[in-house]
Amino acid sequence: MIPSSFEYVAPATIEEALSLLERHGGEAKLLAGGHSLLPLMKLRLAVPRTLIDLGRIRDLSYIREEDGKICIGAMTTHAAIESSELLQKRALLLAEAAAAIGDVQVRNRGTLGGSAAHADPAADYPAALLVLDAEFRVVSRNGERTVAAQSFFVDMLTTVLRPDEILAEIRFEPDPAGSGSTYKKLHQPASGFAIVGVAARVSLDASGNCRAARVGITGVTGKAYRASRVEKELKGKKLDASVIARAAAHAAEGVQPLSDLHASATYRAAMAEVYTRRALSEAAARARKV
Amino acid sequence: MAKAKAGQPGAWFGRPLKRKEDPRLIQGLAHYVDDIQLSGMLYASLVRSPYAHARIRKIDASAARKAPGVVAVLTGKDIDGVLGQIPVAAALPELRIPPHFPLALDRVRYVGEAVAVVVADDRYRARDAADLVEVDYEPLPVVSDPEKALAPGAPKVHDQFPDNQACRWVLQGGDVEKAFRQADRIVQQRFVNQRLIPVAMEPRGVVASYDAGRQTVTVWSSTQIPHLLKTQLALMTGIPETHVHVIAPEVGGGFGSKLNVYGEEALVTHLARTLGRPVKWTESRRENFLVTIHGRDQVNEIELAVKKDGRILGLRARILADLGAYHQLLTPAIPTLTGLMIEGCYKIPAVRVEYIGVFTNKMCTDAYRGAGRPEASYLIERMMDLVALELGKDPAEIRRKNFPSPKEFPFATTTGIVYDSGNYTAPLDKALDLVGYKKLRAEQQKAWKQGRYLGIGLSTYVEICAMGPSSTMPAGGWESATVRIQPTGKVTVLTGASPHGQGQETSFAQIVADGFGISPEDVVVVHGDTSTVPYGIGTFGSRGTAVGGTAVFQAVEKLKQKLVVMAAHLLGVPPKRIEARNGRYQVKGNPKKSKTYNEVVLAAYVAKSLPKDFEPGLDATSIFEPPNYTFPFGAHACVVELDPETGEVKFRRYVAVDDCGRVVNPLLVDGQVQGGIVQSLGQALLEEAVYDANGQLLTGELMDYAVPKAWDVPWLETARTETPSPVNPMGVKGIGEAGTIGATPAIVNAVLDALRPLGVRHIDMPLKREKIWAVMQGRQG
Amino acid sequence: MNLQGEASIPAPPERVWVHLTDVDLLARSLPGCEKLELEGEGSYRVTLKLGIGALSGSYTGTVRLSEMVPEQNLRLALQSRGSWGFVQGEGTLALTRQERETLVRYQGELQVGGLIASVGQRLLEGAARMVINQFFQNIARQAAG
Repeated sequence: MIPSSFEYVAPATIEEALSLLERHGGEAKLLAGGHSLLPLMKLRLAVPRTLIDLGRIRDLSYIREEDGKICIGAMTTHAAIESSELLQKRALLLAEAAAAIGDVQVRNRGTLGGSAAHADPAADYPAALLVLDAEFRVVSRNGERTVAAQSFFVDMLTTVLRPDEILAEIRFEPDPAGSGSTYKKLHQPASGFAIVGVAARVSLDASGNCRAARVGITGVTGKAYRASRVEKELKGKKLDASVIARAAAHAAEGVQPLSDLHASATYRAAMAEVYTRRALSEAAARARKV
Repeated sequence: MAKAKAGQPGAWFGRPLKRKEDPRLIQGLAHYVDDIQLSGMLYASLVRSPYAHARIRKIDASAARKAPGVVAVLTGKDIDGVLGQIPVAAALPELRIPPHFPLALDRVRYVGEAVAVVVADDRYRARDAADLVEVDYEPLPVVSDPEKALAPGAPKVHDQFPDNQACRWVLQGGDVEKAFRQADRIVQQRFVNQRLIPVAMEPRGVVASYDAGRQTVTVWSSTQIPHLLKTQLALMTGIPETHVHVIAPEVGGGFGSKLNVYGEEALVTHLARTLGRPVKWTESRRENFLVTIHGRDQVNEIELAVKKDGRILGLRARILADLGAYHQLLTPAIPTLTGLMIEGCYKIPAVRVEYIGVFTNKMCTDAYRGAGRPEASYLIERMMDLVALELGKDPAEIRRKNFPSPKEFPFATTTGIVYDSGNYTAPLDKALDLVGYKKLRAEQQKAWKQGRYLGIGLSTYVEICAMGPSSTMPAGGWESATVRIQPTGKVTVLTGASPHGQGQETSFAQIVADGFGISPEDVVVVHGDTSTVPYGIGTFGSRGTAVGGTAVFQAVEKLKQKLVVMAAHLLGVPPKRIEARNGRYQVKGNPKKSKTYNEVVLAAYVAKSLPKDFEPGLDATSIFEPPNYTFPFGAHACVVELDPETGEVKFRRYVAVDDCGRVVNPLLVDGQVQGGIVQSLGQALLEEAVYDANGQLLTGELMDYAVPKAWDVPWLETARTETPSPVNPMGVKGIGEAGTIGATPAIVNAVLDALRPLGVRHIDMPLKREKIWAVMQGRQG
Repeated sequence: MNLQGEASIPAPPERVWVHLTDVDLLARSLPGCEKLELEGEGSYRVTLKLGIGALSGSYTGTVRLSEMVPEQNLRLALQSRGSWGFVQGEGTLALTRQERETLVRYQGELQVGGLIASVGQRLLEGAARMVINQFFQNIARQAAG
């Protein structure tokens, strides 16, 4: 478990990091919390020539509200997200997704940006970020651009990030009034990753009917997706058990579930339905309480 | 430390003392093999086969030899005729033993088999250079399934053994044919005891250092058997045993996986000698998965002949054991323990067991915690539940009906061993009482009606441990101890046992403290260094306390007598008038006339005036040769509820009532039981070493091999009954493996019991969520 | 691992066939292909550098094409070794004309050995799908262009 040799640099500013990236091109990898990258390097599945550690850059770790949006610096740890009062109040599903990651040690080191940029098909965040319609602020020497969650995740371990870009921030609108949200997950017993992870948010109108529902699902196929048919089925309806159950039946519609040692495609699809139902029930119950 | 009054007989024996070894372990102050740094040290990295079966056409190490820092690259050719074979100590009639060397000579037979070793001046350069060794393999057909390996025309793992059969062993007692003729019912089932990976927290590691002047090699190895390793290293390397010094420093768990002699140990020793510099090899976690022994891996067919009332008349079984590609130290012997213990704690008058060991293109199996006995208890305990199911009787009653009564002990089994002592009803009654069995059964009926899957699983087990009489052991079954009272009265114990997590630095100190009326804090237990402690056998087979502890006890007894003689001399009375009380040696009937322990000890050392024939000093060595094994037993009860939507197993209760004879330290016993149950839970629900048809290990790291996590483990309620063993003077038995033996069937029985309304008879382990879910969906069953 | 599926390529079978069998064109479609040289009748020496996200590794080996029925079907076999162990596989491709498009049905068996087999299990199927999709996307882009 010894990596190939690599050069290690720890820039102090994001500008410095960007010029290093530009210089090293595709041969460099950015190091955030390192909980996905370092094991891959130790196995020599990843053999970057240069490792650019973002850990010394001070202004990449924060959770704050700005212009009506919640902004989270890419280097913010899972532990910080899990315990943030702001998120627990205004975007509970993200705090719950963070709390569902790995164990305490992993959550103390792992970061939101690192996880998002790595785009593991069974990572927890993508489901939540899709539901939040999060925007990804991406910077490079040529300026910056903003990418919507829907287009940020391209495929397994693949995002729209170009080799010279750094994911700097993720931001989203907080949960609307009258809404409830949650993240529910079936753990893979060895790794703790999601066999299925479902983020759900529902908002109710004055009469208690569903104004909008959003469901994001991770772990089932190569990348997380929004279960749009489920969302459509719920709109305008009273969210009782049978309505939720009928809608949840469409959880894996249109995707080709993966098989591995831990779950067959059939089981994944079935669990997507079960966990969608559970997440929606919880989210609806929370929405009713507010 | 505790309220006990020093000097009282039994003041420390039986007390839940915290472990003396823990402060250094939990503060990071302990030293493991990888912590050893020697000047001029070199590092070894092994080149391993990615193929499960291939001919080695050519190895080109020229690029690796030229790489920076590389000192040497060795291949099989370089050790051919230089290093001896990896030893197998199991004695079975007509056992087929294929050649097995630390580096493959011309063919590899499992993924991970070492083909070359690279030595460099740091571990990074060694690892980089290992990638530069070019091996030209010609892939050969692979067989990775034991049943397929026995089929005609299967790929041959070893050309000289074309049927892939390593051994065949039959155990028979009583009239089996008659038993099956007289049966009202014959209950049959096929079971898979899946392959497991031990995953000790500390992977293996070896450091060897050669003193050219003294021509002596010192080897630090993460091993459970430093003495046996010393002997085997001498034999493999040709270095005289007097010149081999083995040290097992802190060992971070073994579970049997370090009860072995591995190629790397000989290779590193050889390298240190030939290169003249210290050499270190530290196993990576990935290597630990691939090339440290695996456990279990049996396919079993078993049938019971039963009467309508539940009495068992006979048992027939076939054990097909996948031994992997070669033998390690005890590989083929492990399944014989399954055969010996297959009767469990029942009177079964007729038994026939056939065991066939099979070669496949996989890593070797060997002793993994429980070693053959968990397989046996799983078979018989699952079968007891199936008998109950078929006869419509309560599983507790079926068990009770077939127990030998306490009066029948020592109890001779049909397979030919003698259970030392037992009272099998006692722990069962206690477990049923603690778990509230009757109420639970009533609740279960209601739950089933509501569509809930509530299950209650029982297991009543007996196991064989405290290994063992030397006559039945491959390399001695005794154990040694030297107890040395220092002039200040502090005591050093040198034990031949090699504890690596069992806590015997504490429990042995308790035994000694009681003997001399001192505190365990004044006792230090030294182990694992072959230059310091007398030859011993090691720690495995739950033998540490019952065999090693008894040797300590006996040495203490010798010194107690010597102390009495000295005290009598000092007090001017005959020894029989001396009694030891409250840490003093006093004249019977005249307690004022006394000497303290320290006064007596000092007198024995300064030797100003000695009793007749009294050798100065206080040092005694004892070796205990046990007359029999011991047979701990117990009853476990497990209550689960299954999630009908996901198949998840949710534990409601887990109650373990174990009887390991007399208990030296109940805290240690609880720890052993709980740890064992956790490993059982792993086998029952989560763990499985999966090889594909090409012999690739698909569960090659912790991301895919599911050892239980804290969140998987329910609260484990432990309780005990106490039936002393007559085999040793302390009446102790052994508890290191009982958890892995008793718990697996209890958990599986609970899950299958929950599924009874669906008419499901059996599901093979591990009972993963998806398997249970599929059954509940009516997809199989 | 069993792999099967189909891909629709917006070009007629005769064009698709050329892209599957011409060394230079095939080299441009094989994901990560760094080198593809004719070695013998229907046999090519190949070097692939595969990169999936942070993962990257290289394989060298042989690609063999056989049972070739022009514009209809062929059998493809791969033997390769590299930093991650070995990859070998064999499969068939069947081409069907569908108006102006070609439907390619593939079916095969992939064996992965060594490092990636023992530590990359959970990503394997997804990665294989990704590489296959890229391959057909590349052909589609080039054959259509």
